[in-house]
Amino acid sequence: MIQLQNVSKSFKGNLAIQNLNLEVQKGEILGLLGANGAGKSTTINMLLGFLNPDSGAVHINDIDTSHNSEETRKLIGYIPENVNLYPYLSGLENLDYFCKLAGLKYSKDELENYLEICGLENKVHVKKVSGYSKGMRQKVGIAIAYAKKAKVYLLDEPASGLDPLASNELSILLKKLASEGATILMASHDIFRVREVCNRIGILKNGILVKELYSKDVSANELEALYLQFMQN
Amino acid sequence: MLQIIKNEWRFLIRSRIFLGISIAFISILLLSVFLGNYQTRKQEQTHKSAKDHVRQQWVSIDEMNPHSAAHYGTYVFKPANLLNSLDEGVNSVTGNVLRVEGHVQNEIMHSEASQMQAISRFGKLKPSLLLQYIVPLLLIFLAFNSVSNEKQSGRLKLLVLQGAKPLQIILSKTLSVWLYGMMLLIFVLLVYSILNFQSLTIDILTRTGLFFLSYTLYYFIISAITVYFSARWQNATLALTSMLGIWIIWTIFLPNILMSSAEKWHPLPSRNQFQSAMKEDRSKGLDGHNPSDKRAIALKEKVLKEYGVDSLSQLPINFDGMRMQADEEYGNSVWDKHFGNNRKILRKQKQSFQLGGIVNPFISLQNSSMGFMASDNLHHQEFLLQVENYRRVFIKTLNDKQTFGGSKTGNWRWKADNTFFKSVPDFVYKPTQVSIILSNYLLDLALLIIWSIIITVVIYFGTKKIQIV
Repeated sequence: MIQLQNVSKSFKGNLAIQNLNLEVQKGEILGLLGANGAGKSTTINMLLGFLNPDSGAVHINDIDTSHNSEETRKLIGYIPENVNLYPYLSGLENLDYFCKLAGLKYSKDELENYLEICGLENKVHVKKVSGYSKGMRQKVGIAIAYAKKAKVYLLDEPASGLDPLASNELSILLKKLASEGATILMASHDIFRVREVCNRIGILKNGILVKELYSKDVSANELEALYLQFMQN
Repeated sequence: MLQIIKNEWRFLIRSRIFLGISIAFISILLLSVFLGNYQTRKQEQTHKSAKDHVRQQWVSIDEMNPHSAAHYGTYVFKPANLLNSLDEGVNSVTGNVLRVEGHVQNEIMHSEASQMQAISRFGKLKPSLLLQYIVPLLLIFLAFNSVSNEKQSGRLKLLVLQGAKPLQIILSKTLSVWLYGMMLLIFVLLVYSILNFQSLTIDILTRTGLFFLSYTLYYFIISAITVYFSARWQNATLALTSMLGIWIIWTIFLPNILMSSAEKWHPLPSRNQFQSAMKEDRSKGLDGHNPSDKRAIALKEKVLKEYGVDSLSQLPINFDGMRMQADEEYGNSVWDKHFGNNRKILRKQKQSFQLGGIVNPFISLQNSSMGFMASDNLHHQEFLLQVENYRRVFIKTLNDKQTFGGSKTGNWRWKADNTFFKSVPDFVYKPTQVSIILSNYLLDLALLIIWSIIITVVIYFGTKKIQIV
């Protein structure tokens, strides 16, 4: 579970996040919409424990990220916009390396299984990542989190730059992870994808959560209109 | 940590560019070891042939007056040392031939540098040139973006999220770069050992081990600073520029500045001053070739009294030889005074220069490298001292023959036979054992260790300030 309570964060006097209250339950996918500089990445970095809030509290599964970042990181799987893996290693080797860093030793079959679950075709497992598309790298990134048995997934602009097919595959995968009990927070610009994948949606503007709603309550077009309305005001 | 080191090495092995550079560099290193070894072996042969030739000339003297033989003199050659094939130090500029004769201590001549076609600022292609200047550069190029690249690509976040601590990441990257330097170093020493397997002695192995230790420490310092800069600076270019700046200051500017300062703090007398002072002191002593010299007359009176005779013709010995030896011994004391003073100044200069290692570990590396490879000025001075000691024995043997060999005073035509000349001992150079001179290099080793510890401490505390995002 993800909890942010009255969280504020500023950089050199500029408020990036202001009294943010947010909760994402187990099995839920929350989409954070917002323009560049709205505070989406700052929120994610606070959840990752790389930034501490100036005030308020950030919890992952009831553990404070500011004081126990090493503990909370064990629970988190993070998929950035660009999953930059080691280009001289294959997808399989990258997964193996990151798992070993986390103290997890899997057999080759197990690793291949994780990659397959995450949608990476078997034939490319042993190919060097330098030849992978963005979508393929993202699948390896998700496999790293999945193999880590992450309870919480944080995705920063995951669909950006993906072709429709890859983007659709990602949506399916995220829904699957949520159905298995994962807590997912996804920051994005992509209104339609967020509407399609997420259970709940929050709109961030200048560090303030200006709107929170359920996906099922709005159509994609309504969501777009709402989003534009908030951005323009 | 092991996983990160293994991954770094996978990059080295799989990167075609780096593999190509490594193979090319290893080939150059190999060439330098072979060339160094070939040059040393060739020098050894030349040395042996020159030494045999000169000795042959000496033992072929059929008959000659011993004092004439002292003027005829002989030559001593500085032997090529097997260790010099790794680091020739000051040997190419100090000269390697010394004429040994009566009345005078000659200066060493025929430096290799004076006969080189192309005199390079950096000297000949020896492994030390590559190990001291080029390998650190390679390590810098290998390490300057090792952490910043992870940061810029976002992988640093992933690494930390997977449980790797920033300190572990920096130390692992440092160790993997350092291991690359070690691999090159071990490669050089391995090839060197194989080429000289039959000539390896405990002393050579000990010296090589200490040589290895010095480079090991220096490579750690270079690797650790570069990786730390890569982690602290916002971009890789800044880290590279900073490290290249440090490399230039450490290897080019500071050694010259610090050596000039050491020479200024402890100046040697100029050649003119030195020669004038020697000449003046020498003039105060006994002149072996002048029977009318006051001190010669005093010595004559003393000897006549000892033998209980009234004139030199009644002496059972040749007083000329005794006078020559007295002249020689006075000259020796003058030499001891002036050269002893020079040696003291040189030692002070060396000690001051060694302290430069506080601000520049490269100085400690160079000092210990030359020292352990027996090619620094300290070893050269030891050689000169051994030659001077030999000269004294050599001349005394000749003067004693003149005195007690059966001739009478004033009989300059008397000649010693070939048996005597064969019996005069040849110069045998006794290489200075590392156990005897080790204390001279402890400061260099200590400074390299201190630098390594300081860098590790800086990394330990500085890592806490490194921002992952």
